[in-house]
Amino acid sequence: MPTFFDAWHFDGKSAVRRKVEVQTVGNQFYLAELERRHGPFAFADLEYAGEQGDASVYKMGGNDGWRLGLVGNVPTELVPHLPAKKTYGGWIDRLGIGPASAVFAIVSAAVVAVVLFSPQWLAPLIPASVETKIGDALIGDFGGRFCSTPKGKAALAKLTNALDADPRDLQVEVANIDMINAVAARRKVILFNGLVSQAKSPDEVAGVLAHEIGHVREKHVMQGMLRQMGLAVVLGGFDGNGGSTLNGLLSTTYTRESEREADDHSLKALKSASVSPIATADFFRRLSAMDGSAQMREGKERAMASYTSSHPLSDERRKLFENSVIKGKAYRPILSSDEWTELKTMCAQDRKVKSGWGFDFE
Amino acid sequence: MSDSQGRTPSAVTFHGSWIDFAKIALPNVLLTLVTLGIYRFWATTRERNYLWSKTRFIDEPLEWTGTGMELFIGFIMVLFLLGVPFAILQLVAQGMIFQGQVAIAAILVITMVLAIYYLTGVAYFRTLRYRLSRTYWRGIRGGSDDQGLTYGFSYIWKNFAAAIPLFLLYPWASISLWNERWNLMSFGPYRFESNARWTDLMKRYLLFYLVPFLIFAGIFIAGVSAGMSGGGGGNPFDSAGGIAAFTLIIVGVLAMYILVPIAALMYYSKFFRVAVGGLRLGDLEFEFKARSPDWILYWLGNIAIMGLAYGFAFAPFSAFVFASPEQFAQKIEAGETFMTAGFIISALIAIIPLAFAASIIRYRAWKFFAVHMEAYGEVNLDHLTQSETEVSSHGEGLLDAFDVGAM
Repeated sequence: MPTFFDAWHFDGKSAVRRKVEVQTVGNQFYLAELERRHGPFAFADLEYAGEQGDASVYKMGGNDGWRLGLVGNVPTELVPHLPAKKTYGGWIDRLGIGPASAVFAIVSAAVVAVVLFSPQWLAPLIPASVETKIGDALIGDFGGRFCSTPKGKAALAKLTNALDADPRDLQVEVANIDMINAVAARRKVILFNGLVSQAKSPDEVAGVLAHEIGHVREKHVMQGMLRQMGLAVVLGGFDGNGGSTLNGLLSTTYTRESEREADDHSLKALKSASVSPIATADFFRRLSAMDGSAQMREGKERAMASYTSSHPLSDERRKLFENSVIKGKAYRPILSSDEWTELKTMCAQDRKVKSGWGFDFE
Repeated sequence: MSDSQGRTPSAVTFHGSWIDFAKIALPNVLLTLVTLGIYRFWATTRERNYLWSKTRFIDEPLEWTGTGMELFIGFIMVLFLLGVPFAILQLVAQGMIFQGQVAIAAILVITMVLAIYYLTGVAYFRTLRYRLSRTYWRGIRGGSDDQGLTYGFSYIWKNFAAAIPLFLLYPWASISLWNERWNLMSFGPYRFESNARWTDLMKRYLLFYLVPFLIFAGIFIAGVSAGMSGGGGGNPFDSAGGIAAFTLIIVGVLAMYILVPIAALMYYSKFFRVAVGGLRLGDLEFEFKARSPDWILYWLGNIAIMGLAYGFAFAPFSAFVFASPEQFAQKIEAGETFMTAGFIISALIAIIPLAFAASIIRYRAWKFFAVHMEAYGEVNLDHLTQSETEVSSHGEGLLDAFDVGAM
């Protein structure tokens, strides 16, 4: 039973537009011009190609440029043979945009939740030996920048032993770099010499060291790395700015969380070593004067800063340490003044140590 | 097509409306949001389907046949073939720096930078090739049989050579790369010919190049003379001359923000007129009719749209943060989950107006090009046969979908 129908056709071989009739023969059809007949073509090979003016356009698999435009109302006999129209794409069209969006939203939220929360229980599963290897590969001996004198190292060991119950797997070093900073990487804690030499007391160094040990013990570095990798993959679909802004917001939320945990760890360690947290509070006071958080009294600026920075505001941390001082408790200095001098001048005394970054870093 | 004023109708016409386009763009934004960005490849395809189908060349509309899946697979391949190795190399380079192997780290970083530069050139080439091969008119498409690998090297050396004389040869580099790219492209059986001349661009380029210096010199001379006339010494605000000099600095800074972009737009305007004017396809010649004022209006429109979008984007933040900044700060510092969630949701909501505005700007860009594009000459439909260029479907050609550029 042939069906006749007005349509236009491009054969994909030349740009000539042909006015044709569709003649159906079972599952196949011909396109007839006045003097020529094209085909047969199989309905099964037709693909929907979109709308053009008042025509629905179909293309044909394997026939580059082949187009058939059906104008106006398509006769009912033809409809069952034609492929379904597409709007948003296969899955979404089948479900409808509302339900599809809901499903996508739930799946996305679940994926983000897994990426954010799983590192907390994944990180402890990674064996210590692997952690150590990554640490060695990444940091090594810091290009020979670790300072070492027998007395200085002894003082450092005394600090570490006082602050950690079982410090055998920890490697604590002072690096000959003039920056006020300290880093924890897997099982290594590195204090930069700028921090040690400008510290007013050994108690202050103890507070910072205990904070970094906190990062190691709470497995923050591994967690952070896993979370960062996960977020980078999951948010990779967003282009450039959007994805990295979200990634930044989410990951700083977590780093602030980690910093708080490390501060708590530090306060506990100081308490059990009978070291006063007041020196560390003083350190944060000086830091807050430098980063400006002491001036950001209240208000909008502070609200934004507290959200976008990777650490809690120095000023906030000062308060935390200040408030932890227990009145009347018998605190004692963690190092004798001789030991403190040895630690402070360790890098200056060490003649073999390399200095700085070896190139202009800042 | 009739024209009431009796002028020859344009060969390229655009029949879209931004309201119809918005009906495509808004669901796109929502779906992109709930799929963590993955839908954007399909979103791009839907946008292009609309824009192409509303653009007529002579009597028939264009058709876009690219698919979202194609772009998505291209993205995944780029991520794994380039993203992962580069991320690892970067880690290795960092480790080298920490371990004091600065020289090796530097070599690694330089190699990476060169590789990225090369691939950017290749990507520009392949983007054009991809778009031509997915653009149909009367069932006929374009394309290229070149892989763009040589073009990648041209991209490096020509840009490098242009930079040596203090970037003065930049017009030469861009026009010569334009010609090189288009001379390798074809549509149907015809090869594009591109013979744009870079020397036509030099006056405009020098204008753009010198504007910052002229502004500085102007401010300096006016400032010094004002300062001198006001008498010397002490606080500059004590003298009328000092205040005048200070005002001049402000005027100068504003001038930088207004005059420099305008000079850049004037250069662009000339660039497109020269570059498109040098193109031929068979018997067809092309012209791009937008002049500097058109470009400036177009640019101001985009700025207004972005400004509006930022206004809407910050509304949820304002509601959330500015209602009570002090309380907000305290709760954030205390690490309250509710506030964290609220903040992140506001950030997500902020994406909606920004992404929507970006869509509308893409619409305007396409419309701007379609409206100002003109072609002259004849098309013999019998001779316009199908392109025999290879269509990269899957496999090595997938870098095609490594779609750089704005559209």
